[in-house]
Amino acid sequence: MIEAVKSRSRKRLITLTVNGEEHEIAIRPNAMLVDVVRDQIGLTGTKSGCSSGSCGACTLLIDGRPMLACSTLAVECDGKAIRTVEDLADGERLSPIQEAFLDQGAVQCGFCTPGMLMSVTALIASNPKPSHQEIKKALEGNLCRCTGYNAIFNAVLQATGQDGIKPIMF
Amino acid sequence: MSNLSFVGKSRKRKDGPDKVTGKAVYSQDVKLPGTLTGRILRSPHAHARILRIDTSRAKALPGVKCVITVDDTKGIKHGFVETPRYPPDQEVFARDKVVHIGQEIAAVAAINDMVAAEAVGLIEVEYEILPALFRPLASMKPGAVEIQPTHPKVDEPYTNIAGKTETEWGDVEQGFAEAHLVRTDRFESHLRTHGYLEPHVTLAHWENDKLNVWTSSMGTFVKRSKLAKVLDLPFSSVRIHKTYTGGTFGGKIDLYTHEYAASRLSMLTNRPVRIVASREEIFSAYRHGQPLTVELKTGVDRNGVLVAQQIKIINNAGAHRGSGVVVIFLCWGFTMAPYRIPNFKYEGYSVYTNYTTRAPQRGHGCPQVRFAIESQMDMIAEELGIDPVTIRMNNARDPEEDLPNSDNVHQAGLKDCLRLAAEKTDFLRNYGQTRKAADLAGSKRRGWGIGLSSYFTGSLIYPNGSGVMVKMNDDGSAVVLTGALDVGQGAETVISQIVAEELSLEMEDIKLVTSDTDTTPQDIGAWISGMTYVTGNASREAAGNAREKLLEVAAEQMNTPKSDLRLQDKMVISISNPDNRLSYRQVIAASVATHRGDTIIGEGFWRTMRDEPMHPSLATTKGRWSENYAFSVQVAEVEVDIETGEARLIKALTVHDCGFPVNPGLVKGQVDGQVSMALGHAFMEEVVTRNGSTLNTNWLDYRMPTIHNMAISEDADVITEQYKVGQPYRTKEVGEGLVSAILAAMANAVYDATGVRLHSTPFTPAKILSGLQKLEQKKAG
Ligand code: FES
Ligand code: FES
Repeated sequence: MIEAVKSRSRKRLITLTVNGEEHEIAIRPNAMLVDVVRDQIGLTGTKSGCSSGSCGACTLLIDGRPMLACSTLAVECDGKAIRTVEDLADGERLSPIQEAFLDQGAVQCGFCTPGMLMSVTALIASNPKPSHQEIKKALEGNLCRCTGYNAIFNAVLQATGQDGIKPIMF
Repeated sequence: MSNLSFVGKSRKRKDGPDKVTGKAVYSQDVKLPGTLTGRILRSPHAHARILRIDTSRAKALPGVKCVITVDDTKGIKHGFVETPRYPPDQEVFARDKVVHIGQEIAAVAAINDMVAAEAVGLIEVEYEILPALFRPLASMKPGAVEIQPTHPKVDEPYTNIAGKTETEWGDVEQGFAEAHLVRTDRFESHLRTHGYLEPHVTLAHWENDKLNVWTSSMGTFVKRSKLAKVLDLPFSSVRIHKTYTGGTFGGKIDLYTHEYAASRLSMLTNRPVRIVASREEIFSAYRHGQPLTVELKTGVDRNGVLVAQQIKIINNAGAHRGSGVVVIFLCWGFTMAPYRIPNFKYEGYSVYTNYTTRAPQRGHGCPQVRFAIESQMDMIAEELGIDPVTIRMNNARDPEEDLPNSDNVHQAGLKDCLRLAAEKTDFLRNYGQTRKAADLAGSKRRGWGIGLSSYFTGSLIYPNGSGVMVKMNDDGSAVVLTGALDVGQGAETVISQIVAEELSLEMEDIKLVTSDTDTTPQDIGAWISGMTYVTGNASREAAGNAREKLLEVAAEQMNTPKSDLRLQDKMVISISNPDNRLSYRQVIAASVATHRGDTIIGEGFWRTMRDEPMHPSLATTKGRWSENYAFSVQVAEVEVDIETGEARLIKALTVHDCGFPVNPGLVKGQVDGQVSMALGHAFMEEVVTRNGSTLNTNWLDYRMPTIHNMAISEDADVITEQYKVGQPYRTKEVGEGLVSAILAAMANAVYDATGVRLHSTPFTPAKILSGLQKLEQKKAG
């Protein structure tokens, strides 16, 4: 057993571009991306809710596509570009999606929020005016226990300038 | 208080920017160098004697730093309730026997998670299996295997009774004899879990005789008191730091063994220790809600006015007392608050079974009991030929009524809620239409249902009161020190609004230091439905105290009486001579210069029911319970597919009297979230167990609502205008009671759509189809 543990833990060097910065890091081959991003790179904005691919809290972008970081081996991301919630704002200026989440009251405990924001960011990048059904499809893997999704849904409509949705929080 | 600028407005979340940028720190985000991984060995058996525990092989494994069992503890017990009648009953590790699957046997600290996992596997435990009981009726039978001793004050021949609540008034027998109609029904509810997204995480670091803890909680002061107690440390040696909590809904209030274990392991290794509960552990070994059996006998007169009601509740309470004895008390309260009941008899039994210990769960018994009462109310209405709105109107309490426990409902807006809910949904036009219609096309049927509920706003339980400090900075901005914890409800926002209002500051002028047991004043915590009321009023007092101090110094400096002064934009201005003005900065400087160096610090304290010495009796219900009762009426529009039996909530309307809404946008968020949780309760969620073992231990198998299940959620508040007049701080509960009436409304709506009356949750396709089948047979036969 101990031998097995040792061989499994022989480290490998990979390169990740995270939020535009290149990192060369030594990782265990079985390390999951969520742990590498949170523990080794130190970006804890990405959340870990279930470690089993069922909640969406760990959603981040790999080469622009929303992926579950808890179900992605870090070695598979060698040479890829990762984008996390920490990269959405431009300094102090929040992105329109982040603003829309606050305007609509789409954040409560905030634990699902980073994953939600990444899913929405990917959606809007590829589909600037998603239909109601497309919004639901894009967010179906992101659980939120606090909001009932209503405010999150409205935030996406606001961010995409649809249905005349106006802020409810000021 | 006519021109409110902050209170009563939908101000954006104070913690919002941090939460959308990933800066908000949760317990899992705190990292310390040299941290060890802790892991817990849990019982695989539901009921067994422990014959032997051997940790030697685990201890010998390279990389293992420490292994502890019950022998390494001081044997100090804890409990959700700790009163003379219900003393603490739980040890942090099993001693001599285990009483549920997942019970903690031992904990290890190791250099990484792989070694920790291997070490746990090397601990040898020898068990002698005992018969296990999972149904309360079997468990309470005289002569059943004893899980825990029956409470000594229960002198009935039952076994495994954790506690009993009983009370009565009037004469129910006579009431039933005089009633025009008497109905007896029985309702069952099922096991559900909280579903907080953030798993339990605890990081503990013992350093220089001080234990620093970061843990997912619902109130750091409650955690501190219990943790310090079981560790036998003075409170001053335990510091619970602030972290945001990623959802709780009741599931993070108790002391959990992983919190003790991380702490103790850190004390023994002098290294930080982190324990993360896996989602599978949470589903299988952590605390869930409380399934109740409700037997309900109700007598009414010709108009459906209640004459007598008798209710018996049996709680499947798990293997320790937990909050089970609170649920059976609360169910009494949730029964007596909304309707007048002249003759009443109540019995609640909390019964041990070999399930995991139970925790409070949003609503804490209210959804289960309102489901029963409101379902039966509709059945009675139908028998009498009265509509569902009128029968409720005939029983609903009026403002200023005294309750049987000598509480008063004050401006209860219940009847206004009923009127408005019926009007907004055109309820009486819609209700009954589907069942009346002949030959409807397709398989989809719409139904409308209504329910009502009342919830208390804070009660007396440790720490009973909240303190708040407002420290004015030299530049006129303020730092607020509060023990309040933002678990998502918006505590930080609401407190900032109140301080901004009272001190004429902008939201940006206020910075908060919160929920740190060493640096902030004690707080009741986010779990007794009273934070906005109790901590909110403490904040008002603290800001008011700072304001008075500012005004006193300003009056001296400006040579004008205090009554001539007003505050605006961080200035103190003379009303009679507006040119006579000083900035806060100048006033504070003057205070330091002329008053022994006094800076301006305001203090405020609040406690509900100030004249009551303590909480009401859980056993007899005697004593005051709350000084603010919230009321709500909810209407559900449900669609049932009569071919598949599949039902879903299309639209919910929530009309509530939550007192004065300090932040209507946040109230709306609470409404939507509760409607969603309730639809999960009704149609989707169930912790499925076999012999005490959870079969669905992840979210793929435990179906929680996703965005596809989202229902339209509308809300309206009533009588807000009344509160505006001098009472903008008369706030009431709005964060958990609203999971209740809507559950009943959905059951009533399923009936309205199909004619199928459901007596148990969840409302599954199988139950609905079998109900439809029975109706067919009845029609045919
Ligand atoms: S943490 Fe990755 S899906 Fe839940
Ligand atoms: S805001 Fe709490 S889970 Fe979504």
